[in-house]
Amino acid sequence: MGLALLFWFLTRPDVLSLDDLPDHRPDRDNGEQVFYAGGCASCHESGLGGGLEMNSDFGSFRVPNISPDPVSGIGVWTTLEFVNAMMRGVAPDGSHYYPAFPYTSYTRMKVRDVMDLKAYIDSFEPVSHKVAEHELRFPWTWRRGIGLWKQRYFKQEPPSVNSSGNPLIARGQYLANGAGHCAECHTSRDEFGGLIISQWLAGGPNPEGEGRVPNITPHADGLGSWTIKDIAYYLESGFMPDYDTVGGSMVKVQENMARLPDSDREALAAYLKSIPARPDPGD
Amino acid sequence: MIRISLIITVLALMLPLPRLWAADSPQEERQELMEGVKDAAKPVGGMLKGEQEFDAAIAMKSFQTWSDAADVVGDLFPEGTESGYDTEAKETIWTDREGFNDQLAAFAKAVDAAIDANPQDLDALKAAAGPIFKACKGCHEGYRVEDEH
Repeated sequence: MGLALLFWFLTRPDVLSLDDLPDHRPDRDNGEQVFYAGGCASCHESGLGGGLEMNSDFGSFRVPNISPDPVSGIGVWTTLEFVNAMMRGVAPDGSHYYPAFPYTSYTRMKVRDVMDLKAYIDSFEPVSHKVAEHELRFPWTWRRGIGLWKQRYFKQEPPSVNSSGNPLIARGQYLANGAGHCAECHTSRDEFGGLIISQWLAGGPNPEGEGRVPNITPHADGLGSWTIKDIAYYLESGFMPDYDTVGGSMVKVQENMARLPDSDREALAAYLKSIPARPDPGD
Repeated sequence: MIRISLIITVLALMLPLPRLWAADSPQEERQELMEGVKDAAKPVGGMLKGEQEFDAAIAMKSFQTWSDAADVVGDLFPEGTESGYDTEAKETIWTDREGFNDQLAAFAKAVDAAIDANPQDLDALKAAAGPIFKACKGCHEGYRVEDEH
C-alpha cells in the first residue's frame, strides 16, 4: 500500500494552472518564428496532420496530428492544455507523453512564446487524419511509468554557458535548448532514452539507423574549425565550409532555420561556439 | 597466314587497352568533377559570407567551371557504376533517371542564367548564385547517399 502510494505520488502528472499563464495577447507573427525555430512541420508533416513513424529501440512512435481539426487534431484544446503538452509533457486527459515529443526541451521555452505558437498553429487548415497508436515494446507501453522517467530526466539542465553580458549567446542558448531542441538528436542517450548531459551536443551513433549524428560542439571532432559565420551560413544556405551540402534529416531542420532572422542564426552559431568542447563519444 | 593476321589483329585490338585501363573509372571521374565543383563554390561562398571581397572575374570563372561540369556530369553515371570506389551515388540515379536528369538540367539552367546575368556586384551575385546552390542541394537530397552529415 505504501509503495503503491509512493508510486502514485512519483508518477502523477505535474501541470501548470491558469494562474501560471501570463496575461498575454498571442502574437501570431512571433508564433510563426517559434514554429520555424522548433521545426514542428519536420515531424508533424507540412500540413501538421502527422503520421510519420519514428523508429527507436523502444518501438515505433507515430507522430500525432496537431492540425486544428477538432476530432483527429488539437482543434479543441485550450491554451492551457497546449502549454501543458509542450512544457510539461502532459496530455489534456492527464496522461504523460512519451519524450519522443521533445517537451524536455520545450519546457525551457517562455510561456509567451508557446502561447504565440498556438495562435500560429490555430491558423492552419484542419486536417482530418486519424494517426494510429504507437507500437512499443513492453514495458514502454505503460504510460504511467513515464512519470518515473520524468523524475529522473525531465528537468536536466544543459552545461551552463557564460552568456552574461552577451545577449547573442543568451538568445542562441534559448533557441538551441528550447524550441530548437538541438540536443534531442545531437546528444547521445542512455539505455532509458535519457540524454547523457556530460556529452551535450557531442553527437553519437544515429539511433534511427545508419551513420552518426554529428558532433556540434567546438571540438576538433565537431565544429572546431567552423567560424560563427560558417555555422550561420550553413543554417541559412545548407552549405558547409567545404561547400558540401546538408543531408539527411538535417535538410528539413536547415530549411526551417533558413526562415529565421539572420540575427537568430548568428545567435545559434555564437552559442554553439561557446559550449564546452567534447570529443565524439565512444560507441 | 590467317593465323598471323589474326595475331596482328588481336595485338592491334590490345594496343589501346593499357590506355583504357589507366583511365579513371566513371566513379573516380565524377568524384574528381564534384571536387572541382566544390572548389569553385569556395570563392563564391566566401564573397556571399563577406569573407572575401567581391570579384566579378573570379565569380565568372566559377560559373564557367560549373558550366563545363554540367556539360559532362550526366554521362558519368552509366549502368554498372552503381557501386565501388566509395561512391555516394544513390541507386535512385538509375531507378529514376528522369528525375535525376531534371535535377541536372535545373543546375545547368541556373548556371547559364548566372553567366548571362554576369553579376557586377554582391547583390547580383547573390541573386545569381542562389538558384545554383539550391540545385546542388536539391540533387544531393534525392540522389546522393548520406554519410554522417
